[in-house]
Amino acid sequence: MKVFNSTQFYNYSWDYVSAANWCKYPNELSTHVVGVDVLRREFDPDKGTLTTERLITCKQPIPRWLMFLVGGQDKSYVREVSVIDRNQRTLTMRSCNLTMCKLLRVYETVVYRPDPVSPATRTRFDQVAEITAFASLRQLCDKLEDWSVERFGQNARKGKLGFDSVLKNLEEQWHGLAGKT
Amino acid sequence: MGNLMSTSFAPECTDLKQKYDACFNYWYTEKFLKGKSVYNECEDLWADYKECIDIHLQKQGIKPMLDEARKEAPFENGGVPLEKANEK
Repeated sequence: MKVFNSTQFYNYSWDYVSAANWCKYPNELSTHVVGVDVLRREFDPDKGTLTTERLITCKQPIPRWLMFLVGGQDKSYVREVSVIDRNQRTLTMRSCNLTMCKLLRVYETVVYRPDPVSPATRTRFDQVAEITAFASLRQLCDKLEDWSVERFGQNARKGKLGFDSVLKNLEEQWHGLAGKT
Repeated sequence: MGNLMSTSFAPECTDLKQKYDACFNYWYTEKFLKGKSVYNECEDLWADYKECIDIHLQKQGIKPMLDEARKEAPFENGGVPLEKANEK
């Protein structure tokens, strides 16, 4: 497992940042996010919490060496559950990829809270992503072999059709020559 | 806030989603954050939107992946994976 950590600050109040979070997409830099859907949302007035489950749809080009793993599928999905505590002023988002999660899992936790030094005007953002690959060399080899067999079959079919047309084209010529002798 | 609105994974549901989002964003800023609300408003718009996406989650084959993820990291748990919750 590999871990990615990051801490950032936004020079805006937590209230503003938490509201803007619902409008984060679309934005001109995150063009890979093509859809955001709310799947479930529950408000607990006693605790002052709002829990939301969302589906994030992404379309991102992937490196060519990974292409054979995903089999040409161009969309991927992420499930995110966020909890907002309006009394504590925290927004915690946890997300995990749904696509290819048997091979690689990216589990991300993000927390927005008021910066303790200037809580009214500044928001602290902490991000941790745990990235775990489950694919064994064996699984990768199987995938690579499947893909190669499929590609070989495609090329073989093309080869047959191509030679068929050559045979057909040469046929007349052949019979013409044969007739003369 | 938010002149541009995000779309749904299913284009058929985008209209319903944007109506719901507009209602929710207002409720969130004006009521939830200010502690003025005792219930989750916009529920009617939500029901229409949810009906639409439920159909397409099924159609596009997303539902099984989602169900699996829900088992692993339940909504009721705030999306914390069960194996992690058990570690603590």
